[in-house]
Amino acid sequence: MAGLNDDAQWIVLMGFVVSTIIFILALIVSQSALVGQTTSESVLEFSKTDIQDLRSEVIFLKEKGHLDELDLIYDLQNLSMGRKTAVVEVDNWTDVVSRTDFVYIHFNDGTTSYSETYEEYY
Amino acid sequence: MVNDSGQLYTIEGISAGLLMIVTAYLVVSSTTVLTPQDVHITDVQLEQLGNDALAMMDTRNTYTGPRSPLQDYVFYDDSTNKSNFEQQFLLYCNSTPFGRMDDLRFNATIHYINNANEQSFYTYYEPPGYDYYRENAVKVSRWIYLEGKPPNSPVEDKPQIVLMEVLLWRA
Repeated sequence: MAGLNDDAQWIVLMGFVVSTIIFILALIVSQSALVGQTTSESVLEFSKTDIQDLRSEVIFLKEKGHLDELDLIYDLQNLSMGRKTAVVEVDNWTDVVSRTDFVYIHFNDGTTSYSETYEEYY
Repeated sequence: MVNDSGQLYTIEGISAGLLMIVTAYLVVSSTTVLTPQDVHITDVQLEQLGNDALAMMDTRNTYTGPRSPLQDYVFYDDSTNKSNFEQQFLLYCNSTPFGRMDDLRFNATIHYINNANEQSFYTYYEPPGYDYYRENAVKVSRWIYLEGKPPNSPVEDKPQIVLMEVLLWRA
């Protein structure tokens, strides 16, 4: 075709490639910021240590034979509600046939719910 | 007259230079996970550190032992035990593999149910001459069983469970 000047094809192609690469790199970087934030936020929100602490305290009370003193359980429940906004329920009973002590531990802070029946043979 | 026959090559050179600089910047910044949006990562690490320190202090030396060190520190709350608590907590939190100590500060309050059946608290430990101001802090807590009233506390004299809260921050 006479008169059509295609000298600049190479440069136009290069410009196209350059802009595409920058766009893709920008997408990757924006994702990396999101990943770090959502991961650490969900770790912070999960009440792992609260549950571990409650569990170790209840089992300590059981070992020392204080689990029937209701005032102690009330302390646990009131302070949990006031300082951690978490519902706590602790109950214990014994089955004489199988010679087993049961301890029921429940924890719910609105996002995480945990229930456990701890068994111990005597 | 100005000769403009090299214009296109100049433009291409500039764009190629820009591409190299932008690529280098993006590669470096994408490997750095810590961006201004997620300071929570350091919070998570600090919280885990504080909880681990309290859990270690709340472990009895023997299975039949009457009290853990942490229970002892709170139950006999004289100045010796408070400074023992401070030293042990700082040792657990501030140890580094390089031998020198890190610079974390903390204060500790104890929450309890008073004789009017309301929640109340008292300060167990404050860093001397250095109060909490505005640093980015995390709160860790631990249940403590008390057989009676610690001498220097406003707590009622009966067996009870109190909650120790430790505010931990990097100075």
